[in-house]
Amino acid sequence: MTDAIEAQESLEGVLKDEIIRMYQEVADNPSGEFHFFHGREAAEQFGYDEEWLSRAPSGAVDSFAGVGNPHERSELQPGETVLDLGSGAGLDAIISSWRVGSTGKVVGVDLNPSMCLKAQAHAAETGSVMECHEGRMEEIPVPDESVDVVISNGVINLSFRKRKVVEELFRVLKPGGRISITDIVCAKQLSQSIVNDPKLWAS
Amino acid sequence: MFRLLEESGFTRVRSAVVPGFRFRQASTQNSAEAFGVKAVMMTAAKADDA
Repeated sequence: MTDAIEAQESLEGVLKDEIIRMYQEVADNPSGEFHFFHGREAAEQFGYDEEWLSRAPSGAVDSFAGVGNPHERSELQPGETVLDLGSGAGLDAIISSWRVGSTGKVVGVDLNPSMCLKAQAHAAETGSVMECHEGRMEEIPVPDESVDVVISNGVINLSFRKRKVVEELFRVLKPGGRISITDIVCAKQLSQSIVNDPKLWAS
Repeated sequence: MFRLLEESGFTRVRSAVVPGFRFRQASTQNSAEAFGVKAVMMTAAKADDA
């Protein structure tokens, strides 16, 4: 293995820990102040339906840390299978489960196993069923051509290997499937000092 | 991201800026603007014959 690959893998490991720490903190301490808007305030800012936010468990709403509203263009239909990549505390997965109905299916994937448990508990509170798998977005633990729609909210930007993530999205989608994602993009190349700082990258 | 989606085989790739996205702290928002950081909505499809 080359030094460059070893360095990349080492940095990815540290980044994984920092991402888990940061978003766990949002879930554990939703009244805390973060550099990004979160919770109901953020969801309202992005046009989430008030009815959704009132109906969803407060734990899922308060821990919301998205950067937009992937439901706005997802056009989910009853009976569809949805993958929520980076499902966090479960708000987007729960909303998706309402939209695809009892004949549909929602699968979450999250780096943090405790967030998976939290999301599933939140879904159960609303009478919804949600599968959630611990896993990395660069190796999505979902079979080939098994989902109709992938949604994701503010997650892909956290990966060092975005091409691999996009290839994985393509792999898991059925032919004719689609994605609806909201995320952060950057017009300029980030300096190496930012890239090499997991705390800044996770931010 | 837009280019990556197209290069990976996605079709009908569309993007739009998320209106209203900003960071809580002015200093973070200023740094983000300096780097051209923004939130975007992206949609794309996998062709029926892919």
